[in-house]
Order: sequence, then structure tokens, then C-alpha cells
Amino acid sequence: MGKDTLIYDSVEYRPLPKWLTDQRDGLNTYQPERIEMKEDRSLPVSFTVTVLIVLLTIIFLTISILRKNKKS
Amino acid sequence: MNRTRQLRIVVLAGILSLACTTKVSEWVLLNSEPVQYALLYVHGKTLTESAKQQNAELTRNLKTANIIFRSVTREGTVEPYYELHYRNRLVSKYNDYRELDKLTASSLRDKIAAELMSGKLCVILYLRSGNREKDEAGLQVIRKTVESSPFGKIIPVMELSRTNRDEIHFISMLLNVESDLKFINEPMLFGIFGRFTALEPLLAKGISQENINLMIDFLTADCSCLIKDNLPGVNILYKSSWENPSPAMVNSILEANPSLLHQ
Repeated sequence: MGKDTLIYDSVEYRPLPKWLTDQRDGLNTYQPERIEMKEDRSLPVSFTVTVLIVLLTIIFLTISILRKNKKS
Repeated sequence: MNRTRQLRIVVLAGILSLACTTKVSEWVLLNSEPVQYALLYVHGKTLTESAKQQNAELTRNLKTANIIFRSVTREGTVEPYYELHYRNRLVSKYNDYRELDKLTASSLRDKIAAELMSGKLCVILYLRSGNREKDEAGLQVIRKTVESSPFGKIIPVMELSRTNRDEIHFISMLLNVESDLKFINEPMLFGIFGRFTALEPLLAKGISQENINLMIDFLTADCSCLIKDNLPGVNILYKSSWENPSPAMVNSILEANPSLLHQ
């Protein structure tokens, strides 16, 4: 009840019970998760971040050294 | 993480793993409470003393069955009557108290319940249509399939004629498993398991070796959460507490033949 079969033309075409079609189609058990490959961008991101850090460090050190020299 | 916590996690994991390896038929028998029917006594404004007494007796008789009894006042009711409901569906209407005799138990239901409580996988109930040729053809397929199944010894096959007066309530409930069944005059195969759950039937040419084996597969499969959350079938009205069933026989068959385990 509550899972009644659909309207059909004759007994010949009466749909099979849902529990049976689910069992036949393997839908009564959890399907394993489908793993899909994704584009790996970790290497270029890592290079860019490293270059940026190096450049910022060089700029910071240059400015601080120049200021120190100017004062002295 | 302290030792007690670790131990709790291990025990919980053990219980979960056991739950997932329990077979559908066994899990339903042990855990699934049968759905309650509702028997309504529909009457006009006044309730006679004899009706009160009858209903009190009825309430006592219905104890331990999956049914609740209610008295309902419906304006304009001249002659009181009884209505049997399952969820939102009207199963039967009775004009006389005496018609309720054997509502919650009958000899065939007793036999089926005894088989289920003894640890059998399920009972195949074959509801004959009255057409001898069709009935025999369907029965042949059932017998052949059950005999060739490795689980055949734990699947009793029982027959019931659609015109059997002693099982009139049982037949009515079976034909209400789906809304159109009472209009179909074909042989029907009901798989009955757990606490008297009748699966939506196979009928006419649907009674095939392939479909019967799929039913056996369904009942011998590990009880996944998908099945637990959406159990198929309808509970038949029956008077039983379902306490202390024998161990499920399916497990010993599967232990002896690991190749039968579902992948």
C-alpha cells in the first residue's frame, strides 16, 4: 500500500512490484561512489605563491635596507 | 583519546557491522513493528448498552493484535457498522458484530506465523484463482523453483482458495495489499515474512522462476538502510506478540555455502 502499481491496460502489462524491480536492478544496496578525475592545478598555484612570497620578501628587505642606509 | 572512548567506538562499529549483515527476513522479524490496523465502530448519536458490551468484549479480544479499536459518531448513521482500515485505505466493512469472528487469527494464519517464528525464511502463499489450468501452471513453477533453490527447505509453500470462507478476512487483507488486486482474477504469489508482512504479489505470468528467485534474493540479502527505510509490503492483521523467535535458518545455510552470499 502506498506503493501501488501504476495504471495499465491489461494484466499482461501490469508492472512488476517495485521491490522486485529494485532487487533486479540492484537498487536495494548502496552504489559505490563514482570517483572522477579532476584537473590538478596544485603545481602552478604552488609556483605562483612561492614566486610572490620571494618577490615580496626581496622588496621588503630592499626597502628596509635602503631606509637603514639613508638614516646612517 | 582515553581507553573507554576507544572501547565504545569499537563496540559501536561492531554493532553497526552486525546490523548490516543481518538478512532482510531476519531483521524485519526481530525489529520491524507491524503497522496497526484501525477498527472503527461507526454509529449515530446514541450508543446502546448491548453495543457498549460488545465493544468492550471486542477490545479485550483484539489485545496483542496489530489493531486499535475506536468508536466513531457519524451523523445520519441509522444502523451502526464496523470499518476496518489499514493506513488510509478501507479494507472491509461489516454490518454485523458476528462478521468480526476470526478477524485477528485463523488456522492458516496460525500455520504461517508458526513457520515464521520457527526461523523459516518466508512462506510462499499461493492464492488460487479458481481457474484450474492457470492455478496448476503457476503452482508447478513455484514448486520447481523452490525445490531447485538452495533455500528451498526453509521456504514452505502454502495454498489458499480465493473462496475459502474460513479465511475470508485473511483473503480480504491479501487482496488489499494493492488497490487493484480484488479486481484481478489470476493466481497470485504472496511472499510472507517478518511479522506477517505480505509483499506486493507476483501474479499471472509474473509467477516465473526468475521473479521467485529475485524474491528469495531480496529476503536473503543483507538488510541495507535503503530497505529498512522503505520496507515494501503490507502487514497482515494477526494476534501475536512475536516474542522469542527461533534463530533464522538462512544463516546456517549461508555459513555452510559462502558462495551464496550476496556480493
